[in-house]
Amino acid sequence: MEERLYDLIFICRPATPEEEIDRIIGTLEKAVTERGGKVEKKEKWGARKMAYRVMRHREGYYVLLVVRAAQSDTVHELERRLKVNDAVIKYMTVRLDEAMKRQKRLQQRRERKAARRPRAPRAGHPHPGAEQPAAAAPQQQ
Amino acid sequence: MSDETKNESQPKPPQEQPHAPADAAPAEAKPAESRPPAPRPPEGRPRGESRGGEGRGAEGRGPREGGREGGKRGRRGFFRKKKVCRFCVDRVDYIDYKKPEQLMTFIQERGKIVPRRITGTCSRHQRWLAEAIKRARNIALMPFGGAR
Repeated sequence: MEERLYDLIFICRPATPEEEIDRIIGTLEKAVTERGGKVEKKEKWGARKMAYRVMRHREGYYVLLVVRAAQSDTVHELERRLKVNDAVIKYMTVRLDEAMKRQKRLQQRRERKAARRPRAPRAGHPHPGAEQPAAAAPQQQ
Repeated sequence: MSDETKNESQPKPPQEQPHAPADAAPAEAKPAESRPPAPRPPEGRPRGESRGGEGRGAEGRGPREGGREGGKRGRRGFFRKKKVCRFCVDRVDYIDYKKPEQLMTFIQERGKIVPRRITGTCSRHQRWLAEAIKRARNIALMPFGGAR
């Protein structure tokens, strides 16, 4: 199976000690590597205010992991572990690779367009309209 | 009735939005701005009046306001600025749900996603935006209802 990229984001109770959170991250990472995957990014956002109350908490300790999973049961196992853990009050997994692919495609298309534009400005278009976007494009990329 | 009051109270934040990209990219905004007034009003406006403005989705709020003002000042008495998709101006390929500060400008006070007829977002970016907002809501980065 091809590899898939996921955002795994979970929220712990604000009172959870730091070591406990590190332990949770450690077990999750182990579960990933055991299945031939890789944790590409670990981010602890720390305690921040949540937009609404979750299990009577107004604040939560956010942790983000970016996981590259090689096997299909990886996410299943990660979610199971998060569900079992009492310190975790909310979690979400988002598949990223499709969006990344799309992003790359769009970027390439734009680059191609930017490369093509100056040589052949389309006829019928007003001059400033046709030229200025092409001039603006290289700055943005 | 409630619809009307809502529509009048809402425009404030979104109305600022078209200005921001216009400043950021005058190159794109200018041609768009100078184009519409010439061909449109003579033919487009009366139609909009008779149908209550529903014919033109992109400017849903516009025709009503224009009609009122136009009635006072004659046929071509109003001027509407063309709205530009902010994300297209910035060439955004992916709208990140992890940045609620950015998404916050696209929800109303009570947490509703602002329709694209008001913000001027293009359909593709509105779709991505909606997806991002819904994800952010799911993980408590953004409110479902009003912020409490």
